[in-house]
Amino acid sequence: MVAGDRAGHHGAMTDEQPTAPTSTPEPPPRRLTRSSTDSLIAGVAGGLGRHLNVDPLAIRITFVILSFAGGLGVLAYLALLVFVPTDDPAAPPLRWGLARTVGAGLLAVAALAFLIPNWLWGPELTVLLAAGVVVYLLVRMIRDNGTSRLSHVAARVAIGVVLLALAAGGFAAAAAGSALGGGIAIAGLIIACGIGLVGGAFRGGARWLIAPALVLALPLGAVAAADLDVRGTWGDRTFRPVDVAELSGGYEMGAGSMKIDLRDIELPPGRTDLRLELGMGEIQVLVPDDMCVTTHAGVGIGAVDTGDGEQGGIDFEVDADQRLAPGVESLHLDVDVGVGALQVGDSLFDFGPGERWRDRDGFDTLQSGTSRAACEGAA
Amino acid sequence: MTSRAGFDPASLVAGVILIALGGLLLLDQADVLELRFAYMLPAVLAAVGGILLACGLTGPPRGRG
Repeated sequence: MVAGDRAGHHGAMTDEQPTAPTSTPEPPPRRLTRSSTDSLIAGVAGGLGRHLNVDPLAIRITFVILSFAGGLGVLAYLALLVFVPTDDPAAPPLRWGLARTVGAGLLAVAALAFLIPNWLWGPELTVLLAAGVVVYLLVRMIRDNGTSRLSHVAARVAIGVVLLALAAGGFAAAAAGSALGGGIAIAGLIIACGIGLVGGAFRGGARWLIAPALVLALPLGAVAAADLDVRGTWGDRTFRPVDVAELSGGYEMGAGSMKIDLRDIELPPGRTDLRLELGMGEIQVLVPDDMCVTTHAGVGIGAVDTGDGEQGGIDFEVDADQRLAPGVESLHLDVDVGVGALQVGDSLFDFGPGERWRDRDGFDTLQSGTSRAACEGAA
Repeated sequence: MTSRAGFDPASLVAGVILIALGGLLLLDQADVLELRFAYMLPAVLAAVGGILLACGLTGPPRGRG
């Protein structure tokens, strides 16, 4: 369509506001392109550095660091390589045919299937495909009708959806990475973002670093405050020690359900200590109903029930002490739970599908009076 | 409030705040100190609030929309 055709077409329309003539033409929008002059692989970092007004070396270092975070840097680089055109005028224009779109989508699904095994046929795939179709249609709408108000709204919606998805993914990845022991690396990345901001402040600003830094900082802060550490064993484990010597090392799990069945154990006279640590999940300690039990529990987020009623909340400690008669056999539980629950009782309870902690009815917590009588030597 | 071309005070303030927050988290991860929700929640809120305040007071960086 030539300029005269476009002008005539607009002149025939009656439902649009006439635009006032301007004396100076508006500058073209600053568009992200891959650099053909500052290029080590495909000019992605060079183009990003030029667009964001930061040193491309910082972008390259960020890509390398993110590559060690589950290959995120490689994926991001490949995505930018596919979606961002080059600034080389001699290069053929980027055309989005069906084959190229489907190919890029299949590559993304394959990458996700590699990074997150066993998810491929779950509901996530449907959500992902639907999101992909929505984003593709929005992008097509923008490209086909780039001057209308609707296209601008669609562009903002598409960018918002993508940014929200990236933020949610980054938030989840940062939380999981922190809980799995990557907290030092994530804290280092936050500091690196801060240093980049300070350095960028003297070169026009680098505010784009604020959002990724906060996406990393918020989940790491929550994980640190909850003292959540899910390294170690995962799953549903039941321990049935038969000798007191087996208790000396305590029990530790990363995440899941930990059941400690002490109903068949004979305690020696005096106090026996048992240390339990769980990053995320539930701990059930089963004891004979006439056993003297004292408990000290620290919980990041969750609940504790030792027979004196359930206590729950954030960042709290529970001390269920008893007055001990001299020489009485007693068990002292020293429990650390990051996110989850501790329950001390005298029978097993299995949570059903969708059942919550407060819905339980089969786990009999210790009768505090019985335990107290045992501690006082009356049982 | 951008005092001269090429300088963005909001980025400087946000950078200093993030370095402080990252340092706090690093010390926790290195077991030098133990963060609890009682300290962490106000610290994070103060960091976000400080950054928003700095960005709001200084306006958009020069040369950008």
